[in-house]
Amino acid sequence: MKWLELLMVGGATLVAAITVVGLYSLGVRLTAIAGDVAPEAPRWVQPLAYVCFGLCGLAVLFGLYLIIPYFSK
Amino acid sequence: MVALVIALALFFDFTNGFHDTANAMATPIATGAIKPKTAVALAAVLNLVGAFLSTEVAKTVSGGIIREGSEGVQITPEIIFAGLMGAILWNMITWLKGLPSSSSHALFGGLIGAAIAGIGLHSINFESLMQKVILPAIFAPVIAGAVAYVCTRLAYALTSRHDPETGDKLTQKRGGFRTGQIFTSSLVALAHGTNDAQKTMGIITLVLIAAGTQPTGSGPQFWVIAACAFAIAIGTYAGGWRIIRTMGSGLTDVKPAQGFAAETSTASAILASSHLGFALSTTQVASGSVIGSGLGRKGTSVRWATAGKIAVGWLFTLPAAGIMGALTAWLVGTGVVGVVIAGAAGFASVLLMYFESRKSHVGHHNAVEVEEAGHAVRFQKKKAAAAARANKKRGGQK
Repeated sequence: MKWLELLMVGGATLVAAITVVGLYSLGVRLTAIAGDVAPEAPRWVQPLAYVCFGLCGLAVLFGLYLIIPYFSK
Repeated sequence: MVALVIALALFFDFTNGFHDTANAMATPIATGAIKPKTAVALAAVLNLVGAFLSTEVAKTVSGGIIREGSEGVQITPEIIFAGLMGAILWNMITWLKGLPSSSSHALFGGLIGAAIAGIGLHSINFESLMQKVILPAIFAPVIAGAVAYVCTRLAYALTSRHDPETGDKLTQKRGGFRTGQIFTSSLVALAHGTNDAQKTMGIITLVLIAAGTQPTGSGPQFWVIAACAFAIAIGTYAGGWRIIRTMGSGLTDVKPAQGFAAETSTASAILASSHLGFALSTTQVASGSVIGSGLGRKGTSVRWATAGKIAVGWLFTLPAAGIMGALTAWLVGTGVVGVVIAGAAGFASVLLMYFESRKSHVGHHNAVEVEEAGHAVRFQKKKAAAAARANKKRGGQK
């Protein structure tokens, strides 16, 4: 039934977009904190921001990996 | 005839890329994330790559909508020629008017009209049409819009910074989203390639099936995929500055964080749909996301007049392209002379529109205005009133 597929598209879109936007926003937020002068941010904040950006990139690549038929064969 | 249809299909692919550059690149250009020329080049390359990624949509187009083959009706290259003509003409008209109408629906409209006029109502597989084209057409922009709304809220919630003691607003430092937009808009361009280039692949495959050079129900051949990929990439590069104007700044004032959310939603929605073979309209999904993200941001206003204009463009696309396809099919049905007349008329009107468009030339030097407009828009207090009005209106519509 196509309604199920439509629901799948909606769900997949929501999950994918929220993951990417959430991780990236977190990265932006942490970068902003790391740049604060006073109060000075802990030293782990900036690396954590990079981790967020990295995870975000990985999420995108994983999504593409799921979609491209070449890999799923 | 087969060669002519293939050439025409590739030209349609070209106009499709030409038409749809804006979907991917309007928001980053409007927010100043990328320079217009770079954006368009990037979009072209990614469309090329995207076209190679999947063939599900092509199968929908070639195998699902029109009943072909032994048990179905005999579809001829002439019918496809007529359908394409209708689609190209409608695409050119909407392009000149600066309306982001859907190339896909123009294509389907033209094909359906031509098939009904040339063969009869029974030639259309209405069930498949409903499930793979009409329903996604309605729901995809809504899904994308809703997701974009949620994502914009999320992005702003996560990055809004307040002083913990005084509650004053700190510097938000959301510049990172501008860089992020380069990636998300690239994803949109990629997604566009996976959905739109394939519609042409589907058409060419349909022609090859109709001509009997390819078995019924088979997927596109490699040279078809490659040709379509290049046609759409070249078309994308050739531009679409007019539509960038409408989408990037005519609809809603786009901020980087918001553009990021909108593009992520668009790309996810299109990629997910392409994977399941839904031939949806990338234009509609992108517009849905832009509007959704506009509503998700506090203090923004969506210009409902523009949104309405776009909606009307959508409503008209399918029937209008259908009528054009039907007329061409009727003309083609009268014989060789009819084919020549149809071809000449189509060619002449395309030429005419081209010269018409030269009168008010819009190139990337003009489109930079959009970039500046994006910078010029600031978060202003007086916009809150407009947003309240927009919210009220939104509530009223639901």
